[in-house]
Amino acid sequence: MNYETGLILSIILLPSVIALLLVMIRRIIGPYAGWIAGITAGLNLLATLALLPLLRQGIEPHIALNWLPQAGIQFILHLDWLTFPFLFTEALVTVFALIYALGYHHPDERTPFFYALLLIFGVGMAGTTLAGSVFLFYVFWELMLVASCVLILAWGEGPNNGSVALQYFLFTHLGSLLVLVALINLYDAAGSDSFVALRSGISLAPAAVTTITALFLIGFGVKMAVFPLHIWLPDAHSVAPMPVTIMLAAAMLSMGVYGILRFPMSIFSPSQIAMFALPMMVAGLVSQVYGALMAIAEQDIKRIIAYSSVSQMGYILFGLGTLTYEGIAGATLHVIYHGVVKALLFMCMGLVIRATNKRQISELGGLMNKIPLTAACCAVGVLAIAGVPMLAIFNSEWMIYSGGFHTTYPGLAVAMVLGSLLTVAYALRLFMEIFWGDYTSDGNLIPVSAAMRLPTVVLAGLTLLAGLFPSPVFAWIDQELTLILGGLW
Amino acid sequence: MNTAFNSILILACGALAIYLLARLFSARNELLACCTVLVFFLAGLVLFSKLNLNSKFWLEIPSSGEFMVSGEQEWPGESASRLIAGTAIALGFLVSLYSSRYLEQDQRYKTYYPLLLLTVAGLVGMVYTTDLFLLYLFIEWMSVCAYVLVAFRRQTNTATEAGFKYLIMGSVGTILFLLGLAWIFRVTGQIKMPLQAAETSAWASAGLVCILTGLGIKSAFVPLHTWLPDAHSRAPSSISALLSGIIIQSCFFVWLRVGLGLGVSKQVLGAVLIWLSIANMIVGNFMALVQIHVKRLLAFSSIAQMGYILFSFGIGLYFDFPQAILAGFLYLVIHAALKSLAFLSKGICHFYYQTTLIEDMRGIAKHLPLAALTLSLSLAGLAGLPPLIGFSGKWFILTSALSTLQPLALVGTGVFLLTNLISLGYYLPLIAQLYASQPHRNEAAPTLRISPWMAIPVIALSGLILAASIYPAPWVKWLSPIIFISEGG
Repeated sequence: MNYETGLILSIILLPSVIALLLVMIRRIIGPYAGWIAGITAGLNLLATLALLPLLRQGIEPHIALNWLPQAGIQFILHLDWLTFPFLFTEALVTVFALIYALGYHHPDERTPFFYALLLIFGVGMAGTTLAGSVFLFYVFWELMLVASCVLILAWGEGPNNGSVALQYFLFTHLGSLLVLVALINLYDAAGSDSFVALRSGISLAPAAVTTITALFLIGFGVKMAVFPLHIWLPDAHSVAPMPVTIMLAAAMLSMGVYGILRFPMSIFSPSQIAMFALPMMVAGLVSQVYGALMAIAEQDIKRIIAYSSVSQMGYILFGLGTLTYEGIAGATLHVIYHGVVKALLFMCMGLVIRATNKRQISELGGLMNKIPLTAACCAVGVLAIAGVPMLAIFNSEWMIYSGGFHTTYPGLAVAMVLGSLLTVAYALRLFMEIFWGDYTSDGNLIPVSAAMRLPTVVLAGLTLLAGLFPSPVFAWIDQELTLILGGLW
Repeated sequence: MNTAFNSILILACGALAIYLLARLFSARNELLACCTVLVFFLAGLVLFSKLNLNSKFWLEIPSSGEFMVSGEQEWPGESASRLIAGTAIALGFLVSLYSSRYLEQDQRYKTYYPLLLLTVAGLVGMVYTTDLFLLYLFIEWMSVCAYVLVAFRRQTNTATEAGFKYLIMGSVGTILFLLGLAWIFRVTGQIKMPLQAAETSAWASAGLVCILTGLGIKSAFVPLHTWLPDAHSRAPSSISALLSGIIIQSCFFVWLRVGLGLGVSKQVLGAVLIWLSIANMIVGNFMALVQIHVKRLLAFSSIAQMGYILFSFGIGLYFDFPQAILAGFLYLVIHAALKSLAFLSKGICHFYYQTTLIEDMRGIAKHLPLAALTLSLSLAGLAGLPPLIGFSGKWFILTSALSTLQPLALVGTGVFLLTNLISLGYYLPLIAQLYASQPHRNEAAPTLRISPWMAIPVIALSGLILAASIYPAPWVKWLSPIIFISEGG
């Protein structure tokens, strides 16, 4: 055990142990559960950042233990440049979600469980990105689902959180099962479950490659919630308590992107998956337009942002589908930026809902002078998601479009650019309806805790910063692409 | 064979001794239970006393796939018999410990423990014997005890009815067995397996079909399963644990042994098993969805889980694939542990709060946190959520089924995956019920301490399951030295 393996092990172990402690000795540390969880997530973010210089030096931390040697199943944790952007997004979002939860969550006797599950949810996502073997990947993949489902079930808002949680579980589990079948096929073909063995060449019949890729794309597509596999998302996102929604939307959806990059795209050569390029781009376009239209039609402000995720995942899928350098780079960049901006927007909606106790857009209005700070943050968020230059998402969208123009279907890229007008429409509508106009309600606003405002402001700042200085983040993506593409393109 | 005989002798004499003890000294429940535990312990010790410590002592299945076929003196399948008998004795051990408190409300100790011992004794004889007539006797021996135990709560009409139904259907099964046996004896003049009876004459074939149908009733193959939901749900929970956990599986094991021992080809048996398994998975899972009684739900879940076991064995026989047979044995043991844990935990809830309906379980976690936790653990395991051992078992079944790449296996795999998804539709709401925040009718009921007699078996089983989930390697290794051929190269 040296420094770098210790770091990646601690990213998995530390939150798990803390979560266990939160539950075991909740009578003693119960009142401080939120702070403990927040600090743990902060340490995790630091550990993730500490891995960056190591990666720059070309060190790829790797832990391999025998788990079930009779079946060739190993416990492998591995960090490379493909993992890093996703791990970073997850760690960042978890920290902000936990700080936000300090203000959002009303403590009661179940609070330690709430924070423990949030940490476990984070472990599930971190483990999914760090796993270096098929079996372990699936274990963490499902842990992520179980933890988030329990959070929705136990702390969901609204009368039918039980059925929403069940729908969420069943639907995403269907995707997981497709992924499982594909994973087992790969494992059978490679005879070992480590990713290294998968990458270093497995020979499969073209029909098998097509089947496996299709299974992966549909399975991960469910997690990404692209149209028409999105039906679990609006309900789950609007029912879940806000910190959970933030983690779901900003970090968990991108695990589907990671899966697509990690399995079909890294293992098979571009020519093997070329036939999926057009379907992916079309699905991306449809998802983008559909999500935006639904966001325009929706009345509940939380659901508007939820549908916006469907639309944004459309951009990412389109970028992946281009199978070009720019497109894939743009898609990965979009994962990070979307994580930040989506977290920001949900936080703003949380502030609005908490302050006014209303969720319908028609009942809101004229809040600009009442909560100017929230309005400013929300303005940054909606402008960013609308793709205004100098804000984060513009950069990634630029790359995605540019990837689209490099394919043989530039018409699709044009449609994509035009489709982004709809994004502008719902984003501006959201802002105008909430903050513009006359303040109609007669009651006073409820004061909101600083723990909810602070992360919102910081994320708004990050959005500006990321838009102004994209190059450091872009350097990571660049490294990742050499790993996936491996000089093949 | 000697060890098995000694073990049966100990169990039977123990039954007599305990009956006399109860009759003559009207001993207390706890004392009788402790004596029964002791008898089970001794029987288990004797069964394993002749362990030769070479690596092939449990599941001695040569990699050629020649499974339980003729040997001169001893059957190679004997080590598999030992696995089943050992599991039954271990379950009997836990159940009798558990009953020392659970039975308090029934007051009929003096027949219960002897019957429990005799059931297991019959089971041990049944899985060991190679003589068809002895087999008939042992099946009757076990079944008669099981009928009485199912109707043990004779003051309730439902239990009597269930016991009667089980008796009628079970007797049809044994009569068919006897009829088939007579025909085969008429043709071949022999009753000792292995015996080439399958293709000798029409009478022998008809006899064979009768025998396999009779045993099929006992093993609850769909559509011969109708007795099972009643019997398993009306019996005391401790008995249900034994019935669902090992008895139907051991009957299936005998079915397999007789089928192979009478010279039916592996392909035919395999194909029959695959189709039966599809029926079992579909009927079991869909029927479980609509149940309102917890124990009926668990009983239908047993039919479904039997389907998974049958599927694995079917793949193994049809494609001559020993890996799948081992996966089947593994899943059989895993299911025995998980299902008996479910029934024992449910029994605790029933003992303290008289819960029978799923509705009654609402919020039971507040009153019985331990039972709710272990019940959820077992349900999650049965649902196959990673990283629990139930998932590892399903992983083995899936890997072996998918690696055949044959249409029949793929159809079965499709049903397997789909019904697995459907099964979440009853496992998860049940878990959610346990932890629901609004208690149903037990709101005013005091929080009781679970008696250690009942807590210890449940905790022990949970600990075993958790240990095997976290680090399955030694367990799998212990159960079978050759579970995966790839290990040896």
